[in-house]
Amino acid sequence: MTTTRRARPVRRARHLFAALAAMVVLLTGCSSAGNASESGSGRPTDGGDITFLIDSLGTTWIPNNSAISSFEGNIWGHVTDKLVYVDANGQVSPWVAESWEQNQNATEFTLHLKQGVTFSDGSALDAAAVVTNLDIWSKGRPQDGINPIGLFPKTYDHAEAVDASTVKVYFTAPTLGFIPTLGYHGSILISPKTLASPASDQADLSKTVASGPFTVQSWKEGDHVTLVRRKDYNWGPAALGQTGPAHLDSITFKQVPEQSLRVSSVQSGQADVAYNASPQELESLKSEGFTVAVPRYLGFVNGWAINTKVAPYDDLRVRQALQAGINRQQIIDTVYTPDWKPATSFIQSNVPGATDHSNLLGYDPVKANQLLDEAGWVKGADGIRAKDGKPLTLTLYSNPYLATSKSIDELLAQQLTTIGWKVDIQAYDVVTYGQRVKVGGAAVPAYEITRSFIDAGTVAGILTDANKGEDWFGLGESDPTLNALRDGIAKASSLDQRNPLLDQLQSYVLEQGYFIPRTQIVQRIYVQNPKLKGETYNGVAYANYYTAYLEK
Amino acid sequence: MSRGYLSFALRRLAQAVVVILVAYVFTFVVISILPGDPVTNVLRNPQNGFSEDDIARIVGYYGLDQPIHVQLWRSLSKFLVSDLGVSLRSNRPVADLIGEVLGSTLLLATAGLAVALLLAVAIAYGSQVLPKRYGQDLLRTLPSFFLSVPNFVIGLVLIHVFAFQLRLFRVIDAESPWATLFAAIALGVPVSAQIAEVLIAGLDHESRQEYAEVARSRGLGQARLFARHLLKPASLPVVTVIALTVGELLGGSLITETIFGRTGVGSLIQRSVTTQDTPVLQAVVSLAALVFVTVNLVADLVYPLLDPRVRVVDGRTAPRPTVQEAGAAG
Repeated sequence: MTTTRRARPVRRARHLFAALAAMVVLLTGCSSAGNASESGSGRPTDGGDITFLIDSLGTTWIPNNSAISSFEGNIWGHVTDKLVYVDANGQVSPWVAESWEQNQNATEFTLHLKQGVTFSDGSALDAAAVVTNLDIWSKGRPQDGINPIGLFPKTYDHAEAVDASTVKVYFTAPTLGFIPTLGYHGSILISPKTLASPASDQADLSKTVASGPFTVQSWKEGDHVTLVRRKDYNWGPAALGQTGPAHLDSITFKQVPEQSLRVSSVQSGQADVAYNASPQELESLKSEGFTVAVPRYLGFVNGWAINTKVAPYDDLRVRQALQAGINRQQIIDTVYTPDWKPATSFIQSNVPGATDHSNLLGYDPVKANQLLDEAGWVKGADGIRAKDGKPLTLTLYSNPYLATSKSIDELLAQQLTTIGWKVDIQAYDVVTYGQRVKVGGAAVPAYEITRSFIDAGTVAGILTDANKGEDWFGLGESDPTLNALRDGIAKASSLDQRNPLLDQLQSYVLEQGYFIPRTQIVQRIYVQNPKLKGETYNGVAYANYYTAYLEK
Repeated sequence: MSRGYLSFALRRLAQAVVVILVAYVFTFVVISILPGDPVTNVLRNPQNGFSEDDIARIVGYYGLDQPIHVQLWRSLSKFLVSDLGVSLRSNRPVADLIGEVLGSTLLLATAGLAVALLLAVAIAYGSQVLPKRYGQDLLRTLPSFFLSVPNFVIGLVLIHVFAFQLRLFRVIDAESPWATLFAAIALGVPVSAQIAEVLIAGLDHESRQEYAEVARSRGLGQARLFARHLLKPASLPVVTVIALTVGELLGGSLITETIFGRTGVGSLIQRSVTTQDTPVLQAVVSLAALVFVTVNLVADLVYPLLDPRVRVVDGRTAPRPTVQEAGAAG
């Protein structure tokens, strides 16, 4: 049985908007591929302005206070630089830091900076500036309303400028993930002068001074941000095959909250990129000639962290039945498009260190039924299994941060019902969800995960409650195998040491049914004018137009 | 100006101040009883990786760990000295945020009201001068039709036809004159319905009066009768309706601005509601209350001056004709 509670009025209104818009598009026969270009010379050309339509421009422009996976990240990626570049496959390469080395225990790192890098006000991006940034990422300035960056390693001790282009960073414990974390979208380099200014000044984007390939020409809260090319920029990441100035003259990020209007504007040639289109529209947009991108971020796949403290999920056979009772391919066929990839582990397959465990994730309803029979769950006349008079129930809390979450829940509820589960779906808005649904919560047997990270070492700090970990599976310290793998990964000082342990961890977590993957996750969808080419997507799936150009 | 009228004006002004303060406190209470707060709602997103200690420190900075009455008193005492505070969402001064968007909304609301008035007068005129065989009855049903179509539907249709098909304006250039005109049409059409209904009722009433019959018997055509004799007396209840539709124009601007991608008070409210940005919401609701109360105050003060039948006695007026009365009269 599937029930849904508390459908949110705002969401209902949004759905109504979308349905009406779709109807109007059909009625008026909205123009489409008329503007799609044929193939051109393929050579990058300088000049041109593009318009990027986005749902929202986020909440605040205080660099540290921007939420992770925020809308602001689209703008920061063009206005700021980072110390290292992390590509879509998690490969780390030099950017403002030309090279680096670490001690044997991974507790001390030395960064060698590129020389001649300047902020847009002409001041130098030198070692002192990097130290200021590292300190503010780690500690923030809470007394002034400046947050620390939540995911910055908690083991950070301090950093010092050895000379103008050398920074030494010290940690209290091995921190192998430090270098990749420097490529995370929160780790953006801002001028020390801006960082020293009051929160209200930092919140004014026009006052932010950074070193990126674009600078802010104008902005209006909740309306638009226009960026213009910085002509003296000459320190882009070599991995992108370009270090000089950007090709495009300007990028305007314009807020258009209505999804259908964003896509229709690109279709009618009024804009170049529409952010976050509906997955269901993508195939037809591609057939009309538009470029569609569904980059995956580095992080966990979309799936459930199972709370072993909630019966009957304390029973291994029930968790394993859940693992086998889900048809993951049907999610891609029904809710998504072939652009989405099936899960092969509980971390995305593009994360360095992720290994393929598809063999543990096959759809096998016979095995699922058998496991439940063995566990004593007997099917009743209504098809629902019961044990000791209690039905086999699963309450799903749809994740409000993922638009397709509820659709997937409904599909999985159908699949699990055929095996004998009674599935209850509860859909809350973001605020209520944040209050009522917590990982490991007493009434939350399955917590839906959508979370990015740059370095797979993050995994070890989350799964149990050690070192204030989140204890995703409600195990505490009760599973010695998991604890040993966790500690081995946390203490590893090289990838050669860490990767085999990471492989074992993935296999163990899936075999034990602690994590039930659904699909690999795509949280950002881009629909683009086919004349716009050469954009890149980084490890957090943000599009970057530094290397992009408009084909003549 | 009589003493009675001055006393009446002062009494209404004092009531207006009380209404604004009540709106301010009410908004605070309503937002405060919702679960969570704007700061922790962001920080508790598991992707952000904040520890409970971090969250407690940040919540403390914003004073959100204080009891509700302390937060209210702190906020109210600032409001009374015109300090609107700082947005919890963007960390920018609330006065700046409102200042940036107010002009756009006032322009849209004014243009929407102009469209509504033009449309209402045109429909009312047609209802008086158009012969029945040319669709007078159909014209009289238009206000009901306008009322039944939500303005976001009108907005979407206008955008798809005039922006995407005829390319008269670009969605991304929402403040352009054409885009503003079509946004004003989307906003003004439902409002015109109420004005038109009252106007038609008033015209029908006046048209049956003896002086109208005399004018007709002297050979005055219906069009001239409308312009010279009927419109002015039938328009008095419209003043009341316009004062009441100010709220609708402000409320409608929220949806219209969202659809047309305009940045105004409506979109500021929308962003503030979704993020529980209490200082911004309190300021905007108080501003809306101020506008609504001021317009109604002006209507109340002007009415005795426009209509000699309304008298101020002991600082009070005989109530001005209501919409229902005007309708009943028709």
